Amino acid sequence: MQTGKTVYRHSAVARLTHWLFVIAFLALVSSGLQIFNAAPYLDASDKTDPARRVLQIYAPAENVGSTIVFGHAFNTTGWLGWTDDGMGGKTGRAFPGWITIPSYQDLADGRTWHLFFAWIMVFCGIAYLIWGFARHDLRELVLRPADFRKLLPMQLYYLRLRKEPPPHGKYNPLQKLAYTLVLFVFAPLIVLSGLALSPSFDATFPWVTVIFGGRQFARLWHFVLMLALCGFFVMHVILVATNGLRNHITSMITGRYKLGAHDGVGV
Amino acid sequence: MKRKLFIASSLSAALAGCGAIGTKLNESDRMHAILGAGEKLDLALIGTHGLVREYAASDISREFPINSFDTPTDAAYAHMIGSAFASFRLRVSGMVDRPLALSLAQLNAMRQTVQVTRHDCVEGWSAIAQWGGVALRDIIALAAPRKGAGFVVFHTFDRDADGVPYYESLDFSQALHPQTLLALRQNGAPIAPDRGAPVRLKIPTQLGYKSAKWVRHIEVVPSLSHLFGGKGGYWEDQGYQWYAGI
Repeated sequence: MQTGKTVYRHSAVARLTHWLFVIAFLALVSSGLQIFNAAPYLDASDKTDPARRVLQIYAPAENVGSTIVFGHAFNTTGWLGWTDDGMGGKTGRAFPGWITIPSYQDLADGRTWHLFFAWIMVFCGIAYLIWGFARHDLRELVLRPADFRKLLPMQLYYLRLRKEPPPHGKYNPLQKLAYTLVLFVFAPLIVLSGLALSPSFDATFPWVTVIFGGRQFARLWHFVLMLALCGFFVMHVILVATNGLRNHITSMITGRYKLGAHDGVGV
Repeated sequence: MKRKLFIASSLSAALAGCGAIGTKLNESDRMHAILGAGEKLDLALIGTHGLVREYAASDISREFPINSFDTPTDAAYAHMIGSAFASFRLRVSGMVDRPLALSLAQLNAMRQTVQVTRHDCVEGWSAIAQWGGVALRDIIALAAPRKGAGFVVFHTFDRDADGVPYYESLDFSQALHPQTLLALRQNGAPIAPDRGAPVRLKIPTQLGYKSAKWVRHIEVVPSLSHLFGGKGGYWEDQGYQWYAGI
């Protein structure tokens, strides 16, 4: 046991790209919802097709907000469909002004923000991955076949159905699963599905749009992947906050991390 | 309890705070100068390469949304509709060796191309239609641009509610793209007045706002800064990207 010992855990590149990614991610979600508001529906098809509509957020009447998911309508007045116009009033719009950039409806500026921070996210991701591969930092982060059998025991430990976590390295198997999904599945796919919306990118790499099921389907995937990454974001913050908030924040700023009771077990 | 409070407040604060900070920063010209790097990267890294997918006739959208200003109402345009555009001349001028004034009959006598392509609106929707007409590159070749020409500008009969003219511009990689079309027909019928009659631009590698309706005059220019708001298009002058490939 090395409990209490301070180790250098996060490289400068990892720390810098982490915080840049946080800023980029929040800006991308906010500006993305702004862009969504301009056509507040998602179709599982290539062209726009109301017959294949999966999600629609709209105001069927004054002072009424409605969200239709797979044909099931929910009254979301005040939150979605009829909500904050970003200028102190209420209006018919999908996502509220307090969550979008800019708060008021402005597709042009929303796109300007989105298309800038999309590149920040891409460059952060590339820099992090290249640095991580070169320095072998990713070795301890990526889920391996040997970790599969430890996933259930780790989940049981989290559910307090097991006293001790299974022995693991710097990251536990569920952390590895989450980070591997985010780094190698969700993040690349959200970038690709975004690019699939580009008519020029589609001209150069038509197969990308095809694998997502067409342009409007890619827009749906882009939205679903955003929800998945938001889910990761929420879990990440909860886990950081409940497992030594100060230690984690400090380590992501200075790189220095104080080992806990279960850290590094089995290394 | 403290932790739960922290989580709840940090998540909502992150999103709302981000929106609020972003909205504040959005008012800054300096911030926009930085954010503009995104468009430069898009233009450099995505650009205009390759051909867009062409669809089968069965893929054509039953309804094609109209998302532009109303059909021009000025007397000159109304007169042309009345006379089946007999007096219409598509002017081509500027940095060209052979300025042109093409009648509809002359345009129809040129080599015609047909494409069934997807129209991607900046708002997020897409619709498929068949477009027929003359490849823009044929008209540009006919006019013979001079050395130093940088952009092809499209002046239209279109005006917004305040009378501000709708115009658009392409660089030569976009203008000479084989699928960039001066459309005379949509789904086999002459372009309808509310869809840009008699001639509209149709450029499927770019978002819809590039495809100017009611084109009356094509001007070849060295740069865009002297035209209207200086950004190369009606929507560009209002903050939309000049590069509409994404």
